[in-house]
Amino acid sequence: MPVRVAESSTASQVSGANSGQTSPLVCTLLSAGQAFSGTQNVSSLQKDEAWRVNVRIQGCDFEHGYLCGTMEALNVPMADTPVVTFWEGEIVDIKNYTFFTGKWEATPEDDIRHWTKFPSFSPLSSQVEVDGGKFLDLSNYSCIFMRWKEQYFVNVGADCGLTIAGFYYVCFSCSDGSINGYYYDPNSSPFQKLELKSTNEGRSGFSFSSYELQ
Amino acid sequence: MPTTSSPSTNRFSSDLILDRLESPDSEIKLKAIREVKNQIIGNRTKKLSYIKLGVVPAVAAILAEAEADSDGGSNLIVQSAAVLGSFACGVDSGVRAVLDAGAFPHLIRLLSNVNEKVVDAAARSIRMIYQSKLAPKYDFFQDENMKFLLSLLNSENENLTGLGASIIVHSCETNAEQNVLCHAGTLEKLISLLEGSLSQRDASLESVATIIKNNPEAVSKFVGSESGKDLSSVIELTKDRYPRTRLLACMCLIRVRNTSSCYLQDIGIKIKLVHIFLELLDDPGQVGDEASFALSSLIAGKEDLQKLAFEADAFDKLYSHLQKGPLHPKRLEGILLAIGDLCSKLESCRSRFLSLKVLNMVIDALTHDSANVRSAACICIRCVSRSIKSLSAGHFMNEKIVVPLVQLLCDLSASVQVASLRAISNIVVDFLPHKSTFIRCGGVKELVQLIKSMDSTIRLNALWALRNLIFLADKICKQGVFMELTASSFASLICDPEPSVQEQALALVRNLIDGCVDSVEYVMAEDALILDAVGRQLQNVSKDEIGIQGMYVFSNVASGNEFHKEAVMQQLLSQTDNQMHSFMIKFLRSNNSNLRTAAIWVLINITFPSSPGAFSRVVKLRSTGVVSQIKSMVNDPCMDVKLRVRTALGQFMTFGAGSM
Repeated sequence: MPVRVAESSTASQVSGANSGQTSPLVCTLLSAGQAFSGTQNVSSLQKDEAWRVNVRIQGCDFEHGYLCGTMEALNVPMADTPVVTFWEGEIVDIKNYTFFTGKWEATPEDDIRHWTKFPSFSPLSSQVEVDGGKFLDLSNYSCIFMRWKEQYFVNVGADCGLTIAGFYYVCFSCSDGSINGYYYDPNSSPFQKLELKSTNEGRSGFSFSSYELQ
Repeated sequence: MPTTSSPSTNRFSSDLILDRLESPDSEIKLKAIREVKNQIIGNRTKKLSYIKLGVVPAVAAILAEAEADSDGGSNLIVQSAAVLGSFACGVDSGVRAVLDAGAFPHLIRLLSNVNEKVVDAAARSIRMIYQSKLAPKYDFFQDENMKFLLSLLNSENENLTGLGASIIVHSCETNAEQNVLCHAGTLEKLISLLEGSLSQRDASLESVATIIKNNPEAVSKFVGSESGKDLSSVIELTKDRYPRTRLLACMCLIRVRNTSSCYLQDIGIKIKLVHIFLELLDDPGQVGDEASFALSSLIAGKEDLQKLAFEADAFDKLYSHLQKGPLHPKRLEGILLAIGDLCSKLESCRSRFLSLKVLNMVIDALTHDSANVRSAACICIRCVSRSIKSLSAGHFMNEKIVVPLVQLLCDLSASVQVASLRAISNIVVDFLPHKSTFIRCGGVKELVQLIKSMDSTIRLNALWALRNLIFLADKICKQGVFMELTASSFASLICDPEPSVQEQALALVRNLIDGCVDSVEYVMAEDALILDAVGRQLQNVSKDEIGIQGMYVFSNVASGNEFHKEAVMQQLLSQTDNQMHSFMIKFLRSNNSNLRTAAIWVLINITFPSSPGAFSRVVKLRSTGVVSQIKSMVNDPCMDVKLRVRTALGQFMTFGAGSM
């Protein structure tokens, strides 16, 4: 979701370790076509504010630790219409991606500071701090940790006065499909919280569709 | 030697050529044959006009009638064999005319002649014929034939060994044929020819590549021979001064590594092969045409090699050749296929494709005269459109691409139709509300027509395209598809004789009833015609994927209202006379975790806590053994299954069934 440019800044780049082998994670609630809705808290020192957000998963490739989708911000003050962005995600599976971002101006300290905000991360925290968690097997973990990075605006121009420079640290609950995330951009308000729940679009249960590229 | 003549003289001479070829005077005949020979060399138009005029049967008659024993006769034979070979060179209608004129057995007979010139001419002519797919297939399983082939390969005559190699390249297709050739010792003989002349070396390389293709036994025989000396010789030939030899040596090495993953896997040889092919692309002739096909066979389906090729600037190099147009159709086809293969897995390559605006050139190729080029253009678009990022940005769903692709659905060539269908099935995934573009271009009507095809590949791919089109489509799009296809067609496709068609049909229904809850009504139409068909199909599934798609259809229906949930419940109960063999129990016990997951989602949805009839359904599930089956799965090795089992048990417990 795009945010307004704000205060504070830190910067540096460190490569994340990438070793170890695990079987790919799979979760039907995190598959192409699934929709989520909730809010992102964009409060600043001046004002408490939350934007409504809808997310739709468009593609999942657990083998390569990749997923992508769109994020729609509904009540953005400076926009006439909902603002839709396309994002790509890195799944922290240790095989393809580790907990350390190694780019996007995120230091290992920034990474740890954000991951520790998720209660589900606490059992992993000590190991990650020691060696980046490169020997962890997350294939049987009931949460999936990810980074989502918005890539482009889908329905508005890049000059819309909003920024997608940052990225989200995301924790997905495989049990109920709920998503928690924190937006990180050294130039924006810190720890903007994203909270989403799986939506069933008026149904009494869960519905799944699928496509297959050739 | 005749030189160019004025059009009027030419017409006059053409009209008389048949008379002169049929003249009783052998001098006149010989002169006429030479005239034909000189005129048709490298002149396709002239060849076609003479074929039309009936020159080929006249020359074949001279070949059949001439006496090889006399000087005059042997000269006639040598010249007429050369003319027939020339007609057969690179022109299929020429090959057909030579074969139809009955010249082939005469040419074979002449191979045993004592006159070396006659043998050479016949061998060269037959070799030309064997370069065409129309040449008669050689039966290696007949002892006599194998003996004859070995005698050709063992001959001192270069033309005869070359012919032997050509026969192998033309007719060896199956593993059984490769094995019979290996056991007869042809591989050793061909390897020995690597030390022969340039033509023998090239012919040998091509034949070895044919014999070892996809045959691990033959590969190990080849690689293991002489402690790898032969393989080293081939590696050495990749540095040969002749481009064709380099190309053929590389092809041989690709066959080795593609067939047996234990050989030639080091990065050095991979990089070397990529660079050789990129260099060979510059060859203006046949070698350059074939280099891109060879590059494709090296990188197809192999992400690591695609990456190496991309890093070696393969994409930009192919693109620069594409810009040199108009290209020979064969070269254009090869370049399009190689670009497609480069883009099939790498997003970086697809981005390069889009940034260089290659798409416009590929779109032009969709309407090329050559069916192979049209097909290659479709394949290229299919590979590039595998990018969700680009699909989401709407790069492909526009009339410039969709209109020609939809037109190709009516192409006379079935392979073009399939290639177009496969490209369309990616493009229609489009995540923006642009699917209407495809409908507006008449795409749905064409797909529905092709779904009725007798050809199961066309049926499968047309359904696949519709399934992807319907993914997250709006109400109007879904309604359009349903009206066009009708409930009864859906039902019969679900029960199609071809399992892969059944799978796609079920996946299509699954997508049709996703989204707005009203869409569930589609499967309830005409007394639940579609739902019944799904239920019937699930009782006897031939592969897990059918069960998975079928279960998700049930799951999506069961996420509807109370009436929908009951309808699914009835489907589960209607075949539980023998409870332990019900498909639900069978799927829950499957080794396939995706099938177990899909089955549990059905149970979660029919017992969804907020639904009024959930309690009675839980009771019924208990009586059919489903609840106890679910309880036995709490420690399922698959995390997704384990979590769904917990959800299902949690819901059962709400109604007091969890402890039952």
